[in-house]
Amino acid sequence: MTATLRQAVGAEWAKLWSVRATWWCLACAFALTVLIAVTLGGASATDALREYDGDAGAARAAGVRVVASEAVVSATSFVQFALVALAMLAITSEYASGAIRVTLQATPVRGVVLAAKALVVGPVMLAAGVLSGAVATGVVYAVLSADVFGGLVVLPAGDAVADLLGTGVFYALVSVTTLGVGAAMRSAAGTLTVMFMLLLGLPLVILMTGVPALLDASLRMPTFAGLAFMGSTDNLTGGPMPYPAGEGLLWLLIWAAAGLAAGLAVLRRRDA
Amino acid sequence: MISLKGLTKRYGDRLAVDDLTLELRPGAVTGFLGPNGAGKSTTMRLVLGLDRPTAGTALVGGVPYRKIRNPLRTVGALLDARAVHPGRSGRAHLVALARSNGIPRRRVEEVLETVGMAGAARKRAGTLSLGMSQRLGIAAALLGDPEVLMFDEPVNGLDPDGVRWVRGFMRSLAAEGRTVFVSSHLMSEMQLTADHLVVIGKGRLITDAPLADVLAGSSLTAVLVRTPHAGDLAALLRRAGMAVERCGENELEVTGAAIERVGDLAHEAGIRLHELRAKEASLEQAYQELTSGSVEYGVGA
Repeated sequence: MTATLRQAVGAEWAKLWSVRATWWCLACAFALTVLIAVTLGGASATDALREYDGDAGAARAAGVRVVASEAVVSATSFVQFALVALAMLAITSEYASGAIRVTLQATPVRGVVLAAKALVVGPVMLAAGVLSGAVATGVVYAVLSADVFGGLVVLPAGDAVADLLGTGVFYALVSVTTLGVGAAMRSAAGTLTVMFMLLLGLPLVILMTGVPALLDASLRMPTFAGLAFMGSTDNLTGGPMPYPAGEGLLWLLIWAAAGLAAGLAVLRRRDA
Repeated sequence: MISLKGLTKRYGDRLAVDDLTLELRPGAVTGFLGPNGAGKSTTMRLVLGLDRPTAGTALVGGVPYRKIRNPLRTVGALLDARAVHPGRSGRAHLVALARSNGIPRRRVEEVLETVGMAGAARKRAGTLSLGMSQRLGIAAALLGDPEVLMFDEPVNGLDPDGVRWVRGFMRSLAAEGRTVFVSSHLMSEMQLTADHLVVIGKGRLITDAPLADVLAGSSLTAVLVRTPHAGDLAALLRRAGMAVERCGENELEVTGAAIERVGDLAHEAGIRLHELRAKEASLEQAYQELTSGSVEYGVGA
């Protein structure tokens, strides 16, 4: 890392933690993760039981298990918006106040500014994903391992670690995508619209229309690519993704790179 | 320190800055004047690399702004006092800026002290008065102890004490050998602050001269003479190439000559004078003359 980039990262770190919005967004993400994960985990366990007419013994004998941390993975489709808001504010709040001109006076190389923001937002989101996921997994297990769910909810350590890390990486990459879109759109309204359509709006509409060619593409959009990457089997699409986890990560990286490229192009070309 | 060559900025079909060439010298306060929309702020943004010039160059110490490492240590600028995240405290804003340019943390406390807002440093920027915001902006400009300082309308929103403080401050910065470039529309203020003036109108350079020359060049700067032989003296001075206007029975208003020359000519011709004094135009008047015809949104006379 060059000295300029290291300094810019330090500045972005200081900026991130000196506004309340950061804390609010993280608190929201934590609360939503726990609430949604418990709800989705409970629904999964109930569904599994129902398939065996409430006979937990038969379900267990058939090898049915609900992994507690998978509820956290399923929750990402919704929780991501709290973190998208945070990533977005890291850039659009500067345009709203005009502070971007002060930032660019201090760090005139556009690429360094965007890279510094990505290097702060990405790791923070990774940590937020892992930590909120860990808390939520613990709560899901504590609540749902009760007898009413027939002991179907389990928590294998290996799966939990993979799910939580996957969640963190997914949030980090979606946030970096958002950062790029934010730099390109410059306004919160525009960024939120684009990100909502990209993450949920378009893929769900395509899912509903069911046109096969489009369907294939929609499954490569960030939310579903993330579910593939995290190895989700039970989610909005109703089943596992038709491609391997590695490809899911690749698509997430492509989206993040595309977002950053768009943001950098606008930052470089347009007057601040 | 700052040199502009053929600097031009076009927004759509409007020329905001039109072929501007000038050098800003260190050790002086250069006042940057012009009507609203004349291109003052755009020029400053071009110098700071915030906007890209359509043509020409703006160099700071011989290089474009974007090429300067740790630019806050070379150029401190205040363009818009409100350009701070409203939820961030003034101190946090300065700390982030200091980090971005490798400026030691203690410098933040120093500049807060210098601008007199140490007491309000923890307040969120959105709750500061315009005057306090200006002080925060000036603190940010000073952070890197830069050679060049640029201020866009720095006294906007300041109370009379604040205005006097900024004036003294600009003068002391220039006295330390720094290049100080200040835009303002307050002529009386500029007359007291600036050593040198750059006047632009509709993006074009109108004047680049020392304040004293601008004042002397005004048609309203004149020599007033009272003499019992007004007719004779008027004829004499006209023959010497001066413009003379008769204001009363015994009074003449002479333009286009130094007061010494008028006195000497009268003495040589043996004409008695009862009064001889200089009438100096105010910057306001000189400015009006310079910019008449280049007001962006003129009020039809």
